[in-house]
Amino acid sequence: MSQPADPSAPGRPLRHPVHEDVDEAMVRRVVLAFYARVRADPTLGPIFDAEIQDGWDHHLAKMCDFWSSVMLMTGRYKGKPMVAHLRLKDVRPDHFEQWLTLFRETARAECPRHIAQMFIDRAERIAESLQLGMFFRTHAGQAGAFRPPRSEAS
Amino acid sequence: MTYVVTDLCIKCKYMDCVEVCPVDCFYEGANMLVIHPDECIDCGVCEPECPAKAILPDADLQAEPWLDLNKRFAEVWPNITLKGQPPADADAYRDESGKFEKYFSAEPGGEPGDPGPKAEAGAIVQGR
Repeated sequence: MSQPADPSAPGRPLRHPVHEDVDEAMVRRVVLAFYARVRADPTLGPIFDAEIQDGWDHHLAKMCDFWSSVMLMTGRYKGKPMVAHLRLKDVRPDHFEQWLTLFRETARAECPRHIAQMFIDRAERIAESLQLGMFFRTHAGQAGAFRPPRSEAS
Repeated sequence: MTYVVTDLCIKCKYMDCVEVCPVDCFYEGANMLVIHPDECIDCGVCEPECPAKAILPDADLQAEPWLDLNKRFAEVWPNITLKGQPPADADAYRDESGKFEKYFSAEPGGEPGDPGPKAEAGAIVQGR
């Protein structure tokens, strides 16, 4: 469903979701299903549990806001995910790859194919940016040439 | 990877991007915004929101000449997290070319009376 125009801001362009078939219910379904897989994952589960501890309700609400902002342009999430990830000294590139594997599986299970790919494209770009910041940026701010593999657009 | 604000933003500065950016990575000059390349997470939300079509992914050849400008001024201009009032004459400059040479200001934006850190404009970007 499309976002209605904001009547308090005359003249501003309409904000469109990445696709008219995406809505808040779908975003929430993807987020909840994805983190259920993460928590059940033998590698990622303990990493997330150690960091989030008993704050899962808060984290899930935050992630719903984040993906709502990314897929529906709602601007509901405001945060510093790069800073949050830079603190995670035990996280390695293969953890990101496993995260992406679970995310792709979830998106394809929960969404129509064309929408799943939109989630996946954005997740891959965001994961790449976080990894560049965490693993490949020097103090001078120069990123290395690392490019993690991307999934086929199928 | 990052998105980049090009000179199409200059004197338009609509700031719709600021409202949708989930990570508050925009920085405000007197008449344009820039993106901090180390803070942008490449989500792409801002690109279609820009009425001036000033925002491009850094892989775009049109964006490449402006990456250094974004990086440099994101370090000295103030962070902007709320959309302000666009210039009254923003639409008049929307499709103008060569705006960097004609109008670029290295002065920081934000509240009058709060000049913030100063920066030199020289040797930033020479054309596109």
